[in-house]
Amino acid sequence: MSKPTPEVYERGKGMDAHNEVMRSIRSRKQKQYDPHEPTRVWIDEDNTPDGVYQSLTIILNTGGCRWARAGGCTMCGYVAESVEGGSVSHDALMDQIDACLAHERENADEASGLVKIYTSGSFLDEREASAETRRAIAETFADRERIVVESLPDFVDREKLADFTDRGLETDVAVGLETATDRVRHDCVNKYFDFEEFVAASEEADAAGAGVKAYLLMKPPFLSEREALEDMKASVRKCAEHAHTVSMNPCNVQRYTMVDELYFRGGYRPPWLWSVAEVLCDTADVDAIVVSDPVGHGSDRGPHNCGDCDDRVQRAIKDFDLRQDPTVFEQVSCDCEGAWEAVLEEETSYALPLTR
Amino acid sequence: MTEYFEVLGRDGAARVGEVRLADPVTTPALADEFVVDAGSLWTRERDLPEGDEDVLTVLPHRAFPAGTEEPVQESFAVDYPEVAFPNAAVVTAETAADYGADAYVLSNASGFVGHAEAFRDEIIAARGSLPADSALYLAGVATPANVATLVYAGVDLVDAKLAKVKGRQGRYLTAEGEYRLDELDELPGAFPSDPPLSEFTREDCAAHNVAALRAELATIRTRIRRGRLRDYVEGQARHEQWHTAAFRRFDQQYGYLEERTPVIRDTELTAASEDTLRRVEIQRFADRVTTRYRNRFSNPLILVPCSAAKPYSESQSHRQFQDAIQFRGHVASMTSPIGVVPQELELTYPAQHYDAVVTGHWTDGEKSFVADVLQRYLERNDYPRVVAHVGGEGYRDICERVSETVDVPFEYTVADHPTTTDSLSNLMSTLSDELKYSKRERQHNTVRAIADYQFGEGAGDALFEDVHMTSRYPKLQVRDVDGDQLAVMVPQYGVLAFTLEGARHWAESDAPTKRVDIDGFVPHGSVLAPGVVDADEEIRVGDEVVIEGPKAFAVGRAEMSGPEMADSTRGIAVEVRHVEER
Repeated sequence: MSKPTPEVYERGKGMDAHNEVMRSIRSRKQKQYDPHEPTRVWIDEDNTPDGVYQSLTIILNTGGCRWARAGGCTMCGYVAESVEGGSVSHDALMDQIDACLAHERENADEASGLVKIYTSGSFLDEREASAETRRAIAETFADRERIVVESLPDFVDREKLADFTDRGLETDVAVGLETATDRVRHDCVNKYFDFEEFVAASEEADAAGAGVKAYLLMKPPFLSEREALEDMKASVRKCAEHAHTVSMNPCNVQRYTMVDELYFRGGYRPPWLWSVAEVLCDTADVDAIVVSDPVGHGSDRGPHNCGDCDDRVQRAIKDFDLRQDPTVFEQVSCDCEGAWEAVLEEETSYALPLTR
Repeated sequence: MTEYFEVLGRDGAARVGEVRLADPVTTPALADEFVVDAGSLWTRERDLPEGDEDVLTVLPHRAFPAGTEEPVQESFAVDYPEVAFPNAAVVTAETAADYGADAYVLSNASGFVGHAEAFRDEIIAARGSLPADSALYLAGVATPANVATLVYAGVDLVDAKLAKVKGRQGRYLTAEGEYRLDELDELPGAFPSDPPLSEFTREDCAAHNVAALRAELATIRTRIRRGRLRDYVEGQARHEQWHTAAFRRFDQQYGYLEERTPVIRDTELTAASEDTLRRVEIQRFADRVTTRYRNRFSNPLILVPCSAAKPYSESQSHRQFQDAIQFRGHVASMTSPIGVVPQELELTYPAQHYDAVVTGHWTDGEKSFVADVLQRYLERNDYPRVVAHVGGEGYRDICERVSETVDVPFEYTVADHPTTTDSLSNLMSTLSDELKYSKRERQHNTVRAIADYQFGEGAGDALFEDVHMTSRYPKLQVRDVDGDQLAVMVPQYGVLAFTLEGARHWAESDAPTKRVDIDGFVPHGSVLAPGVVDADEEIRVGDEVVIEGPKAFAVGRAEMSGPEMADSTRGIAVEVRHVEER
């Protein structure tokens, strides 16, 4: 026997490689976007610490995430939805907000109590949205009850959050933690920060009277179904200590990402919806709201089961989101649960995926 | 260094081997029951496991699934430690290297299994970087239908992971394919242990799939031991397009298979499809007949059709031809799939070992192949006349096609069928002015022709310039002027085996030799791979080899290819026939 461990990983080297590959994959995308239109906007219902609200979700096009420009997360295709040149002016951003308000007026009877602002980056990064823009948007939504703004932990600052809390908004910072396991976050997701930085951001938000909503990613590349499942169970428990809400979301295959490349070559399958249900069930006892919003459920590129039961399991998950009652999952069953169990039993990272 | 795996037998790229655990396992085999995964380094750091002689431990790994780009593989690749227990390392063709492991797992198998060209390229690339005597493990991809193709390509270990999952998905697997359980009217290829369809659950389906995979592996191991996997694969692979495409893709990479294909076998070779023409054994025979062999007779060439009975000369039709020819012509048989078989080589593998499907109809591919061999044969060998004693559309077409491209005139002696009285009398009379060759000439020409074929161009003359024969064909003994025996003809393979004296003579001659250099020991019975210092790259399984070392001079028959001898740390390299201490 020679060395005690086969550990050779160097953080810088692995990250450089991920970034190099991600930059090359992203560069294949040609499409450009109009800086006066939001990336997406929709109306939904959301469970919050003070009940279920109608929500207005806005994905602002701010020119994209600074990290993604360096290469960025292996599953994230949103950076591609940014604009030429990289920055969007204050006026253009306010045009986007106006478009969202118009959408709300057309699609809802009343103003939403909850407004959620995502940028696929960091709304609190002043290179994406200036202090002027941030304040103007806070002012625009000052009459609502709650607001959620997305940010990497680095940019969470009590002064910035005061722009919202001072206007009487219950404010939450949405942080894409992805997993509480630093190693998985670094090596599989290629997200640079540590769990400690998430904890610090949570404390900073708390100091401003704001809360934290943690976003987790189920099944980044390189993990077997069981490894992904176990990683989520542990992560929900660990980050529930620092966030009042945990949104645990199954990975989907977005274009122009490393995950897409792996998927195309037969080396990746999004998680089973049964795995999502299992995590929600298993962690139902934690002292936080735990929700999941599977995107593209039932499709090959999204979380899916066998094709027969996907809609039913998705409905159960959405029901759980609002009521936090794990017995909803007792209402759904399917023959494919046996196949999912066999996958949990048999799949290893050197033998995956075992199903399409 | 490979410690816990040993290759025991080879059939092309396929091998029968042994995982040398406390309870040894014969491969190709399902690895599920004896593999323990020490875990992924993607999720956390891990201590080196302690290992266990009872199991094959997969060392802590960072597996790269199909589609992982090169820079990521490069920067995250694990430098596996050498350990003292049975172990496997997880690699891809990209990161494959000799880590001293007993087995190597290709983590991107799910991406290339199912795609013939990628499958071939990955397997050949991985095999090229991994030690020859290590086991190759493809995890999570085997089915009863594809496992013959996997093993044929050189895979030693598979598992039942996919078969179990498919069973739980309601997919019923057999060696000829996959069925949806809910669409079956009865269970095809059912085992006595399978419950009736009316009670058949998905758990039963998973159990059936594993049993089917196990049964198929037993068939494959048996085929390898008999040297007949290729014959099986040519048939079984037909059930799925990519399997057929896969073995054809390997045929296109002649070098990979040629290095691994024995030069002699004491078994039948089934010629049941045009794919047989692309077999190494067939291509190699045609190549040697048209580049190594040289005709030494001055009589006319008599082309005759092959016979079903082997060797040809013992068949009824060929006895009739011989009665008409009376040693006045040099006989060569035309045959699909071998091409042209000169009479001296009628015993030489695979000339007396193949069995073709005979319908009287020739495909264009068969005609082209035989015509090409015949043309090259006639370009290399000078004859005063060519008498084509052949009938039927195939043989006659080929002769007419070739006669247009060569100078020597063709005469046709068959009126309707080669064995009718008229045809035989035509054959006899067309040779009436020719002289007979002697038995001595026939015997000398035979051993020289075999030497050319077996050792290389010019070997027959270089080795046997001044010799005489004793005993009778087909067991001719070659003796030098002093009466010392140099070699004997081995009737079941149609090749020569040297005595010690013959080997010394061979080593000193101008004939190409194949040499194995060994350490300072005297081999008895066999030379094991660790004792080999160096070996000619051209050595193939079944080749006659000279063994030399500081303490011994010996002659024997290769059990591994030259590159494998040089590369291996386990297994028998050469079976020694005669040895002399120095």
